[in-house]
Amino acid sequence: MDRSQPAVVVEDLHRTFGTLKAVDGVSFSIDHGRVVGFVGANGAGKTTTMRIMATLDSPGSGRVCMGGHNVVHHPAKVRRLLGWMPDSFGTYEHMTVLEYLDFYARALGFKGADRLRRIQEVMDFTDLTPLADRMSNKMSKGQTQRLCLGRALLHDPQILILDEPAAGLDPKARVELKNLIRILAQEGKTILISSHILSELGEMCDSLLFIDKGRIVHHGDAESMVRGTETAGETLVNVQIAGEPAKLIEWALTAPLIKVEEETKRGARLRIQSTDDATLAGVLRRMIQDGLPVLDYHREERRLEDAFIDMLGQIDRNTFKAQPPEGLPQKNTEDAK
Amino acid sequence: MNVAPAIMDFPDRLSPMVVKELRQGLRTRLFGGVLLTLHIMLVLLTLMSGGAENTAAVSGWFDGIVTLVLCIIMPLRGFSAVADEIKSGTLDMLALTRLSAGRIIFGKWAAIASQSLLLMLSILPYVVARFVFGGLDLFGEIAALFYKWLAGVVIAAVIVALSTQRQFWLRTAVIFLVMTHMGTRAASSSMFTYFTKLGGPSSSLLLVGMAAWAIFFFLSLAATRIAPSASLLSVVKRSVHFVMILSLLLLGWLTGSAADIGLIAAGVLTLLMIDALTERVNEAPSVYAAFYQRGWPGRVALWLLAPGWVTGFLYSALLVALVAVFVGWTLSVEEAKLVAVSAAGTWMIAALVQLFSTRKSRDLLPPFIIFWLIVNVMIAILGIPLMASLSMRSATAWFTCALPQFLSSGYKTAQAGDKAALLDFGMLSSCIWPTVLLIAAVFAWRHARGARQEGWRMIHGKNGGTAD
Repeated sequence: MDRSQPAVVVEDLHRTFGTLKAVDGVSFSIDHGRVVGFVGANGAGKTTTMRIMATLDSPGSGRVCMGGHNVVHHPAKVRRLLGWMPDSFGTYEHMTVLEYLDFYARALGFKGADRLRRIQEVMDFTDLTPLADRMSNKMSKGQTQRLCLGRALLHDPQILILDEPAAGLDPKARVELKNLIRILAQEGKTILISSHILSELGEMCDSLLFIDKGRIVHHGDAESMVRGTETAGETLVNVQIAGEPAKLIEWALTAPLIKVEEETKRGARLRIQSTDDATLAGVLRRMIQDGLPVLDYHREERRLEDAFIDMLGQIDRNTFKAQPPEGLPQKNTEDAK
Repeated sequence: MNVAPAIMDFPDRLSPMVVKELRQGLRTRLFGGVLLTLHIMLVLLTLMSGGAENTAAVSGWFDGIVTLVLCIIMPLRGFSAVADEIKSGTLDMLALTRLSAGRIIFGKWAAIASQSLLLMLSILPYVVARFVFGGLDLFGEIAALFYKWLAGVVIAAVIVALSTQRQFWLRTAVIFLVMTHMGTRAASSSMFTYFTKLGGPSSSLLLVGMAAWAIFFFLSLAATRIAPSASLLSVVKRSVHFVMILSLLLLGWLTGSAADIGLIAAGVLTLLMIDALTERVNEAPSVYAAFYQRGWPGRVALWLLAPGWVTGFLYSALLVALVAVFVGWTLSVEEAKLVAVSAAGTWMIAALVQLFSTRKSRDLLPPFIIFWLIVNVMIAILGIPLMASLSMRSATAWFTCALPQFLSSGYKTAQAGDKAALLDFGMLSSCIWPTVLLIAAVFAWRHARGARQEGWRMIHGKNGGTAD
């Protein structure tokens, strides 16, 4: 693989289905060895973009290069570099874990002892060896997900595309997945992961790509995303009270300088239009004076989810200022505005 | 744990897809159940065949059970073979391996064929036992068993091809119609009549040859439906089909049975046309680059062999002309005109697909089948009663001119003096359909111009002129 060029280059990619513009001028690039999160609401264009990158769909127009190879001109070369894990994990009836991996290893061209060695390596890596004789369609979601990751790794691909790998997994399986991805990143693989669980993506990924209505609206790390959507001069405060949170909401709706960000189980997250410590302390004092039984009151860091929702709101109001995609000319970003 | 002993059940030289399908298929309850039930019934029948008085009845039951298993139950195992892979998303995963669409489809079919072969071989001892106890013609029985297996694997190829269609109802409807059609008309069809007339080893060879071609046709049809856009399957399959048509015509000429062979060729032609006219126009530049790479012969071949219905239309026109000329030369001009009108019937369905459904359909085969069903149902409901009433009054059914599919029936029942005029009118009105297709083809060809230009640039660079 040519390492002088970025591992992934997507330029002005368009794809329409009938009258629906699924992908509308998407441009970004990913350097070798980077882990990038691909974020967007359902129908935003994530899966279509990823399928084109994986040579499973054709671009309407634009250019996609994986490891220096154009996906349209050299699909076979791209496939050799690529590990793909779709959101539907795809297992088979009447087939054990070992047979499943054996089938894909054969299909990828492994023969004899090489095949057995590679299957063993993948099973050890994904901790599937104890499950070798288990029917592949009779496993838990976490185990199935590990099996499918193992399948995607059989030919030791340099670029991995994981479409919603954590969907429907329990917390333990998510942690296991996160650890596996961390190890793969340390091995120098380029990984593109789409997910709805933004906090986890923030931890795992070097940068995040946000897509909305078929356009890239942000490409950068999690902090720049949070900063980009932060409204200057505001502070987020988490308040917990004894009793019904409705009392707090009612109070906040009538109080000046305060907006309710989100109702929580025992209170609410409030947005106060000030960063001044004295003002924040004054708000707490007023709460107590007005008879609210406050148990907890603390300043809160903005979450990635909040930033994302804010950003979508700003896009709807046409006030969002998009970050330029890394390594590409400004023109493409302006298209995304 | 060491994986080696657990996974060496199939050798490396077997296709991965066949290994997978066999591993799965041999474990299913259906296969075990069929095997067990078949053997219980055959043991009982063999025991019953001892008495001479019930030999015919036992033979009937024996044949019926074996036919049911080899020609219906086993082929039907392919009903969801590809549709299930599409629905579960595993077809995408397969596409990213080194398995081509052709190997995926072949693996699906080969697993069914080899399981059927296992069943057939397990039946052989009963045939020998019946020969020993009942004095049957052993070689005749074994040959009959082989032909049942052969028919079964051809049907399996049809069903695997249909399984590329996701719509359950569509697959069911077509299988039902094909089965009914085969059941009612197979024995009287020209192909079987012709083979019976030939007799001896040459008929067996021809039958096996036709079966092999039919299997290739349906499997390649299926492979086209699931192949990535950049594949060049059309080159191989259209070349093979062309050779097949030429061989048939040559055979008809050499054996002096042009009438029978001409009809078989016309039937084969209809199938080829359906395949060629339901391919999506390809917009992958690398496909065109592969032709441009081969200089002017490649540029000429592109017009006939490049994937897509546009070139498929030109290819089908070439084959129709070839068969019509052969029939006209060896039989009569009227027969040649009937071949052309029959082809216009297929072009008519393709034109309806282009006019009414291309924007919504990614695959043109389902709309083609739907329009074909609609036209045939209309003929059955309206056309046949109308023609029957005209026939009772000894009148010519002039309305059949309007529908190419119906013209040959109208021609057969027409008054002697009206036949030529009916055929000429039919020819004239049939011209509308290839004309519609030609216009649609020009637009579709222009639409793919960008891909051809890009393909040209891939070979000749930016300053190498233009593709068209």
